[in-house]
Amino acid sequence: MAASPAARPETTHPNALRAACDDLLAQLSDFWFGMGLLAIWGLLTLIGVVVDQGKDAAFYATNYAPPLARLVLRLHLDNIYHSPAYIGMVGFIVACMTLATFKRVIPARLPPLRAVRIERIPLNANLVVAADEATVRERVETFFRTRGWLVRRRDLSGTEWTFADRHNWARRGVIVAHIGFVIVAIGTTIYWATGYSGQTAILTGKSVAIPENGTRLRLDRFAYRFDPIKTRSGIVYQPIDYVSDLTVTGRDGVPHRDVLRVNHPLDIDGTLYYQSSYGSAVRFALKKDGKPALSPADPLFEGDGFPLGTSSRTIRYERFAGTLDAKGGVAKDPRPNNPGVLLGIFDGDQEIGQVLLPLHRALSLGDGYRVEATGVTNFSGIQYTHDPGSPFVLAGALVLLAGLVISFHFVPARFHVRIESATGGTAVAIAATTVKGFEIFEEQFGALVGELRGAVGST
Amino acid sequence: MNLDQILILVAITAYIAGALALLNYMLSRAEIAKRAGIPLAALGCVVQFGELAYRWQSSGLWPLTNLYGSLSLFAAMSVLIYLVFAFRYDLWFMGGFVLALAAIFLAYGLTWDEGYLPAVPALQSYWIKIHVPLVISAYASFMVAFVSSVLYLIKFYGEQRAAKAAAPVAASAPAQRSIIVGDAPNLERAAAGGSTLALWLATLPALPNLDIITYLLIALGLPLLTLGIITGAWWANEAWGHYWSWDAKETAALVSFVIYALYMHLHTRRSIQGFWCSWISVIGFVSIVFCYLGVNIWISGLHSYKM
Repeated sequence: MAASPAARPETTHPNALRAACDDLLAQLSDFWFGMGLLAIWGLLTLIGVVVDQGKDAAFYATNYAPPLARLVLRLHLDNIYHSPAYIGMVGFIVACMTLATFKRVIPARLPPLRAVRIERIPLNANLVVAADEATVRERVETFFRTRGWLVRRRDLSGTEWTFADRHNWARRGVIVAHIGFVIVAIGTTIYWATGYSGQTAILTGKSVAIPENGTRLRLDRFAYRFDPIKTRSGIVYQPIDYVSDLTVTGRDGVPHRDVLRVNHPLDIDGTLYYQSSYGSAVRFALKKDGKPALSPADPLFEGDGFPLGTSSRTIRYERFAGTLDAKGGVAKDPRPNNPGVLLGIFDGDQEIGQVLLPLHRALSLGDGYRVEATGVTNFSGIQYTHDPGSPFVLAGALVLLAGLVISFHFVPARFHVRIESATGGTAVAIAATTVKGFEIFEEQFGALVGELRGAVGST
Repeated sequence: MNLDQILILVAITAYIAGALALLNYMLSRAEIAKRAGIPLAALGCVVQFGELAYRWQSSGLWPLTNLYGSLSLFAAMSVLIYLVFAFRYDLWFMGGFVLALAAIFLAYGLTWDEGYLPAVPALQSYWIKIHVPLVISAYASFMVAFVSSVLYLIKFYGEQRAAKAAAPVAASAPAQRSIIVGDAPNLERAAAGGSTLALWLATLPALPNLDIITYLLIALGLPLLTLGIITGAWWANEAWGHYWSWDAKETAALVSFVIYALYMHLHTRRSIQGFWCSWISVIGFVSIVFCYLGVNIWISGLHSYKM
């Protein structure tokens, strides 16, 4: 028989939609689904650990097998932590965690006071007391109350139950921990929305302006200190200090001097400046047939290069060497005793050789070209960050920690006590549940029941 | 040989002798072996802390700026945490393994001892006195948890093997002494039949108790690791200008954190407690070893502090 439209319940469609929504929410908040997402996230993170990040294509082509290099570049595994897939996965996990917190964790952690089947709970005991029901109930409640347990009485389906809770507040530890994650996420979002960070390198005697805030930094002097230390395997040149003497002009427009060291950032108008790196920039002079040719106007940083006149060759300043040994090699001592530079010579993209060149000594490159490193200027690498979200991140981290401590180190336990008149007195049925299973509370349960027997005068 | 070296030698000797005594106790349950093992473990631990203090006092340099110092603290903290738990929960049966591992790590640390070196600029901060001990204490907790997990798995597989070798225990087997279900009735029967290995395994605590011990140790280690990561991130922000650089050490620490967080989440499920959680604890400690030694030694990065 065909059903008439009138016979079809009007609520079919909305119910189906609701059921589908419920199914979806149940799936997204499912424990194993969450674990699966975490496993995928772990795999992506592991790829980020194994695969070098943030390198250029040439690096992968040189250091990886060709199919692997192609795989890394085509799947954008070279910058995986900032990829949409990775960020999306983190966002999805956070969303699922939030859902699971409200749909599953809170209901499980904060169970209502309800009747239970005492005999089905592994931690259970039965006592018989030769006294009336009211007296026994009073004794039981006093027993738990004097030991600091929260005692509550409920009439459930005609049976009066007594519930005694210990560390009931600690049931919220997991929720507190997850709230910590949310606060950390708020802090990082504030940084993402309103903060900034960057790096700059300043040559000694030069100034830079920070583009985001207009602060001017002038490097008056950069100094580093390495001490030779005698160890069991020989002399080690241990870095001791990196110091930038700066003249800073902040928002007030008044220049003032400051010293920047590692672990001692400068706070200028709410932006923090850090001593992050240093190096030696080198000035080069190029001559052709004994006459000055077009040379780089400014000192070069490591990795910079310049063309060799009109030829197809280029010179790249690879690295500064503090001390060259008697054989012309690089000595262990990084201090500038007998400095030199390592130059890479390229013809087009092809490197045709490397030369270690002492400072102030000319190198003949053929075709009448001669190059000389004529001077060294130290530079200081400075990192700067403006992060208004950092107090939130710190607060969130501490909340997370508090949540972990609460949830790990307290065992919220609940005694379910049913007291009924029985032949020969009053029967007391007791069961205990905890949020961490039964084994962890077995010993204490046994001890408490033993004490309770004495306290209520159980036969 | 200076006092520093003498103290280390005493500590290693005490750990080795203590390990032998407590292994003997585990196998024989001879009370005298336990009575010998406990003071030896305590002696090694005290001497090690004394050596670190001496190193600090005599050189004026914080001793935890290199791999030797941190491995030394790791060994001492492992023994200290073990002793505290052993006194509280009567865990003397596993002391032989903990002390043996402590001796191995300490001896390995000695191979990195280059004498007294001042700290590099990045390590010249008060944070080193907070961050490093926290992280090392977390690693030490995980090491002791690793030992109890491995013992759990040995007993679990022993029970499986004994079950295969014998007919299943009848439903009318003697009642359990406690509510703990899933202990090792087949092992007990094999032990009664004269199997030495089964006898040894049967004397270990019940599987759920071993699981709880692991849980308690990880419950100590995970907040310490969390605090270590938080203080490390704060220090990194102070030294380098960013909390997180996805440096190999940071990533490995995060992976370890996730593994132990996973352990804690999975441990809430009764069907996964015990066997699976013990495997996660083992995997977690492998990840800690990678994070601690692998990154310091093999991977170049912001945390490559060897000497």
